[in-house]
Amino acid sequence: MRTILRLNMSDLSITSDAVPEKWSRYGGRALTDAIVFTEVPPAADPVGPDNKLVFAPGLLGGTSAPNGGRLSVGAKSPLTGGIKESNSGGQAAHALAKLGIGALVIEGMPADKDAWYVLKLHADGSAEIIRDDSLGGLGNYATKDALDAGMGDVKRFATITIGPAGEMLMKQAAIAVSDPDGYPNRFAGRGGLGAVMGSKRVKAIVVVDEGLGYLEHADKDAFNAAVKKFANALKEHAVTGQALPTYGTNVLANIINESGGYPTRNFSNGRFELVDEISGEKMREITLERGGNVKHGCHTGCVIQCSRYYVDKDGHYKTKGSEYESVWSLGADCGIGDMDAVAELDRACGDIGIDTIETGVTIGVYMDSGKLAFGDADGALKLLDEVRKGTELGHIIGDGAEATGLAFGVAHIPVVKHQGLPAYDPRPIQGIGVTYATSTQGADHTAGYTITANVLSVGGTVDPLKPEGQAALSQGLQIATAMLDSLGFCIFVAFAVLDIPAAFEAIYEMAAAHTGEKWDTDALMQLGKEALTMERLYNESAGFTAADDRLPQFFYDVPLAPHDVMFTVTDEDLDSVHGFVAETAAGMGISKP
Amino acid sequence: MLVEVALFAHLTPYLPEAGAGGTTGSPHARTIDLPDGTTVGQVIARLELPDEPRIVFVGGRHAADDHVLAAGERLAIFPPVAGG
Repeated sequence: MRTILRLNMSDLSITSDAVPEKWSRYGGRALTDAIVFTEVPPAADPVGPDNKLVFAPGLLGGTSAPNGGRLSVGAKSPLTGGIKESNSGGQAAHALAKLGIGALVIEGMPADKDAWYVLKLHADGSAEIIRDDSLGGLGNYATKDALDAGMGDVKRFATITIGPAGEMLMKQAAIAVSDPDGYPNRFAGRGGLGAVMGSKRVKAIVVVDEGLGYLEHADKDAFNAAVKKFANALKEHAVTGQALPTYGTNVLANIINESGGYPTRNFSNGRFELVDEISGEKMREITLERGGNVKHGCHTGCVIQCSRYYVDKDGHYKTKGSEYESVWSLGADCGIGDMDAVAELDRACGDIGIDTIETGVTIGVYMDSGKLAFGDADGALKLLDEVRKGTELGHIIGDGAEATGLAFGVAHIPVVKHQGLPAYDPRPIQGIGVTYATSTQGADHTAGYTITANVLSVGGTVDPLKPEGQAALSQGLQIATAMLDSLGFCIFVAFAVLDIPAAFEAIYEMAAAHTGEKWDTDALMQLGKEALTMERLYNESAGFTAADDRLPQFFYDVPLAPHDVMFTVTDEDLDSVHGFVAETAAGMGISKP
Repeated sequence: MLVEVALFAHLTPYLPEAGAGGTTGSPHARTIDLPDGTTVGQVIARLELPDEPRIVFVGGRHAADDHVLAAGERLAIFPPVAGG
């Protein structure tokens, strides 16, 4: 039986109830959505007492399902003003699931606005809320060190922490999750959920799973058979079996640059002339020279192993190393073509606790204002120091790209629903523009990763330069992604799932064997549709309309080199993406939250 | 005719030594002299690339193996890659 564990910060009480039967098929994203949809008023202040912060492992969290240990973090977003599911790797999801927790909900707000709290969930199922003001002001790394020092003989636990940005309620504050080696370097980065945690005065959550094994299954033999089938597919596919483990996600830098869709200097060009200095190939070369780790999983049970550590010139750990999106945002989008400089910025973002994508986009916008030259890495690092200190400028940067662009009079502010665009320009890669425009999450590449068929020839091909077929491609991927997020899978499994039918079968076979319920293709797709439906209806009640499902105007009327193209997908096509919502809502018996 | 050829990820070692750097000085690019009418497929055969799925661009646009190269064009070839 899975439970919903509630920590009420208003009266510091702890309660636990079974996950309601109506949500028995929900985990991860679908479960955070259901709780936010049902319990958080759409008009709630995101950093007020009525918002709730929900942590949920996927339905297959706590099992040996390959790459099944992702964590969904949900709330009303301080950045977008809509519903948010921010997804992280790290060890916390499995640990929560092994404790029998389907969702951890932090609600209310303490009367004492100077207090900082640590929530401890123990392996015996008990939980406590401990006041520890000494953690206030610490970065994520120092916070993690302080938590470690207080754990005595307990060796196996996961941490969830915020840095100074979350404490200061900045709108792009992130939540850090510890990785298998204990580094607080995996992030629920997008949408400012670190500010929600900060508003509840929760500095850290410690989840102890020492001595706890994987969960039991309804049908153990069938589960193990499906696990084997799934793992084989992930190893067999050239992307998940070879490219990702060898080069990490930043293997994308060269191919997206080649396609002309690598946003450079605040989305003013589709190619970066210094890409060779920050590519996945270059990162691997540097890391190997310095004796760094070039291949590991971000959570136990990962068989793809795309994570790595970037080390400094003396071979010491600097940061996780680094993801494609982070290298792009802090590199190309700011005109910075130096891997060590990018890693320094990545480390600062991680310690301060801000989203690397939003931060890079924000600095790019700031540079576009003329206040700082493109390519000035030292200046960029100083800006992050302003954020850490919470100066007036630091608060503007900490509130993200839109706040910065408005404050400094920038014409081209690349955001949708107030959230910065990721590392693919939607003019030469039109499918991703559909996802950016229509996603319930604001501009988010992971929500419907059309780069697969648009550029990478995974799951078929759709010409990236033409508007035809993009809406259908994005819609299918948005539904599939919401499903994977709800089961707890890393979305990179999709590369294999889209090409290998056995991998897709293995997903519903694992779900059925674990839960004892009937799962098939239709049930998986229904799960994705239901999650998106709750998100969509919530956003409508929070005030979003079709006008919010559009890209910023400059993508429609400023051509991008080298292909000199603009975004040409019609409004009608964009509005078709959520065509399934009304019918799904009727089937679920829900209307507005 | 002179054509720029670029190879990435684990295909990079298949680059010839001559023509290093192409037009941009990239470690992934070479300038290669080819007979007029050479196709993408013929370049792949000449470089002895491994037999596996590839993603091919000419001038930053996806191209098929039967694409006939023109002087000054850039051919870029990737193994299956993804990320995000």
